[in-house]
Amino acid sequence: MTELLFDKYDHLSIRCPKLGHELTFAYCRREGGNLPCPRSIRCWETFFPVENFLRETLDVETWDAFCRQAPPDKMTTLLDLIEKAKARQQADRT
Amino acid sequence: MKTMKVLLEDHEIPRQWYNIQADLPTPLRPPLHPATGKPVGPEDLAPIFPMNLIEQEVSTERWIDIPEEVLEKYLIWRPTPLCRARNFEKLLDAPVKIYYKMEGNSPAGSHKPNTAIPQAYYNKVAGVKHLSTETGAGQWGSALSMACQMFGLGCRVFMVKVSYEQKPYRRMMMNVWGAECIPSPSNLTQAGRNVLAEHPDSPGSLGIAISEAIEDAIAHPNAKYSLGSVLNHVMLHQTIIGLEAQKQMAKIGVYPDVVMGCAGGGSNFAGISLPYVRDKIHGKDVKIVGAEPTSCPTLTRGPFAYDFGDLAKMTPLLPMYTLGHDYVPAPIHAGGLRYHGMAPIVSHLVKENLVEARAYHQLDTFEAGVMWARSEGFIPAPETDHVIAAVVDEARRAKEEGKEKVILFNWSGHGMVDLASYDAYLTGKLLPYELPDEEIARALRAIEGFPKP
Repeated sequence: MTELLFDKYDHLSIRCPKLGHELTFAYCRREGGNLPCPRSIRCWETFFPVENFLRETLDVETWDAFCRQAPPDKMTTLLDLIEKAKARQQADRT
Repeated sequence: MKTMKVLLEDHEIPRQWYNIQADLPTPLRPPLHPATGKPVGPEDLAPIFPMNLIEQEVSTERWIDIPEEVLEKYLIWRPTPLCRARNFEKLLDAPVKIYYKMEGNSPAGSHKPNTAIPQAYYNKVAGVKHLSTETGAGQWGSALSMACQMFGLGCRVFMVKVSYEQKPYRRMMMNVWGAECIPSPSNLTQAGRNVLAEHPDSPGSLGIAISEAIEDAIAHPNAKYSLGSVLNHVMLHQTIIGLEAQKQMAKIGVYPDVVMGCAGGGSNFAGISLPYVRDKIHGKDVKIVGAEPTSCPTLTRGPFAYDFGDLAKMTPLLPMYTLGHDYVPAPIHAGGLRYHGMAPIVSHLVKENLVEARAYHQLDTFEAGVMWARSEGFIPAPETDHVIAAVVDEARRAKEEGKEKVILFNWSGHGMVDLASYDAYLTGKLLPYELPDEEIARALRAIEGFPKP
């Protein structure tokens, strides 16, 4: 059933406002590894019932994690990544 | 003969960038550090940016001198022409004069070098040898590659893997300019290795690419990171566009009624508009509009009927294609430049009601871009199509209002390496919106009793 749903929507194409070129839904639904891109519903909802699709195809935990994704502003992202990169460097040294 | 272009001589190029932070009615709130909750200080950013750029990031000086070395590079293609779109005006048949800043004539084909060049310069002055960055379709990556080459810096661009595979031409441009373009996730960083361990076939994402670029900058001595949008110093560098436009329009004795730009991360919009926002703060009557993408359907699928143009029913009834004045798809009504990647300065100006946000659907933008190419010749970048759609919209409004308007907008880049996007549009691969029957029925109910055009 899930595979059939994937077949139905994966090939659909849209212009991605983040990357700046056309992408298929197959990319959007796994942009974050196991998680769909946080913009998936906003980008696709007028083309097909994407929210229902995600609810049906994601397990409860993944759906919850997807819903909790609140992309921070860019500065926060940068600062967070600086701390993470410094921590990785520290871990490499020890 | 009618004038089509207003040019500035090389010696007329603006010598300073304009910093809107000096004139904001209320200051920008300082960003807070996610770890400490305290306002971010220069030392927090020092691992990835040189101090001279951090100083610009937090500066409230109104005018900041453009170094001679940067001006010399700008002069390769700047000042850019201010052009009059007479053919497009004819096509629109509306009472508008349309002027645009041609930013597509830079060596990289977009406005991005306006900040890539000073960023490379300031890093060079600070003793940096190498810059890292991330890119999607490659507009920023290619601009920074060129700028690094100009100042003898190494450049490493982490390009989202799916973009690396789908958009080979900007990757090739980066290589021509001597940069290393690496598909992300890569094995070069721990962040990339972690992703590949879990998802060996990961197509990458901007989030992963930025993690790799920052880790790469931090891991190497004399290396820093560079960003082409969002940050204050990026907006500052881009103001050269609007400052030139002001000089050019003054030459012909014209002042715009509406200033427009497309707003993704905010840099090209800020570039054309911030000098005019300053005028607006000081009392000028000018409307400033940012055009952004939306998945909101084009309303032309709804019935053509008289309806209010706004939810508050304040406008007169207008004949239009309508889904009903109350039609607002739930996740979209909160949109309007709220994308987390939008520049804080631009978001702040929207909040202050100094700037208006309008959103356009991808099919409307491509339609406008094709109209432009078929009348003015130049093929715009798909991002630029957003503002062209906004110009079309503004011209229609002028026609409906029976009011003459001067429109100025930023033609931010050419689309010669984005032709696959046009191909997707022209061959119908981009989805049209299929309006559900129940929406049409609801729209018709909403306008029951209104006169029919």
